[in-house]
Amino acid sequence: MDQIISQYFDFGVMFDPDNLDKVLKGFWYTVKLSIISGVLSLSWGLILAVLRQTRGRWGAVIRWPTIAYIDVFRGIPALLVIVLVSGSLAALSVENLVTGEKGPIPQSIGVPDWFSQPAPFWYGVIALTLTYGAYMAEVYRAGIEAVPNGQMEAARSLGMSHGQAMRKVIVPQAIRKVIPPLLNDFIALTKDTTLVSVIGLIEVLQASKDIQSETLNSSAVTLAAMMFLLCTIPMARGVDILISRQQAKFQRGLA
Amino acid sequence: MSEPETAIPESPASTGSMLELQGVTKSFGDLRVLDGIDLSVERGEVVCVLGPSGSGKSTLLRCVNLLAPPDEGRILLEGKEITGRGREGLDFVRRRVGMVFQSFNLFPHKNALENVTLAPEAVLDKGDRECLEDGRRLLARVGLTDRADEYPERLSGGQQQRVAIARALAMGPEVMLFDEVTSALDPELVKEVLDVMRELADEGMTMIVVTHEIGFAREAADRVIFMDGGLIVEEGPPSQVLDAPREDRTKRFLGLVLEH
Repeated sequence: MDQIISQYFDFGVMFDPDNLDKVLKGFWYTVKLSIISGVLSLSWGLILAVLRQTRGRWGAVIRWPTIAYIDVFRGIPALLVIVLVSGSLAALSVENLVTGEKGPIPQSIGVPDWFSQPAPFWYGVIALTLTYGAYMAEVYRAGIEAVPNGQMEAARSLGMSHGQAMRKVIVPQAIRKVIPPLLNDFIALTKDTTLVSVIGLIEVLQASKDIQSETLNSSAVTLAAMMFLLCTIPMARGVDILISRQQAKFQRGLA
Repeated sequence: MSEPETAIPESPASTGSMLELQGVTKSFGDLRVLDGIDLSVERGEVVCVLGPSGSGKSTLLRCVNLLAPPDEGRILLEGKEITGRGREGLDFVRRRVGMVFQSFNLFPHKNALENVTLAPEAVLDKGDRECLEDGRRLLARVGLTDRADEYPERLSGGQQQRVAIARALAMGPEVMLFDEVTSALDPELVKEVLDVMRELADEGMTMIVVTHEIGFAREAADRVIFMDGGLIVEEGPPSQVLDAPREDRTKRFLGLVLEH
């Protein structure tokens, strides 16, 4: 029994200064990945959702590609997108060793090191934003469609254009309605940052896994799990509070 | 944003009325909701539209401000044809025709004053401060000076509808459309809304009022129109249409409405 417990909860391994330093450094990547990808996918998702609402014959030119994009990126695994982005961007930007030809995209984009973060970090940000933007677009869309039709009519009857009505009337109400499901997606994204470990970023999963391989003890991985819980459980409770507040409002007939 | 003064030419078909509908039809799928409506409304005239539900009254209003563009026929506003002009017609009509809805449709995320100022600030070539002053003046006009900071959820139905009227007036319309604006109100709140409408009528606003309030039609309307099956069945001064209707369908409808 003791052996089982110490396999997961060996404080000696967990709080060994070297190990702790590695895991914390890894988790710092996780935090940065989550926040940057989170903010970007929240924005990208909103843009997609609004583009998806374009109306009219010419609107279809924008609407259909948007719908196709959302379907595709919701339909393939985030891990696959990560591999696809990292492998292709680098390959397209480096010099061909045989022919000496330059790649079609500049190296500063193909192998990004913006804000002194390593390239795999940015591949992760790009891939997670592409994927979660599509998820969040659908959440926003549900919110937009939940705003009563009379709101658009009232705005249009007051002389606002479709765009003005979306910006000032529909989207602000839609966002209020979908903050809880957006937060849920954000929690999912936070957990999916571990996928970026497969392309060589020493984030928290990779860092703790390395320690596990060295020591044959899983406590560092347990520590990583606890760090996640420290972030995700308060977020989940926050979502619950928001939902119950909205429901209370709804029962009073106000939402 | 400057107001692009319209280049819509005077229509040769105009008879000089404020608003003219010529042969307007509208179908939703197989259902022909308006079946050829001819109507002209003079400047300052108050027209009340009565009729059973499904008679096309609301669609008539929604055609006038192009929320539901007509399938056939034309609509002239101040002698200018607004149908078949796309964006240009929309801009022209929406700045000159205000609409008030049965279900208020106030913006729930804005307080009463912001509801009134949102559209002018976005659309009109006026400073924000001027819009605010106008907004306060309009709220005062509908008797809601002290509720300017309240959100719609904290206002009674009657107050909400008065804010909605102020909101429509903020665009400085020449014509106001009222779509059963008291139908969703508790009986004791109907009067405060009708009072505001009566004042507007007295001040010379051109109004088309779809309503079931026979009393209001009798005292405020210059003309009453009875619609059924997408057609204007009968029209004339209130005393004639309401008290001495010629058509059987009008008699039957008034009998049902006045019974209770």
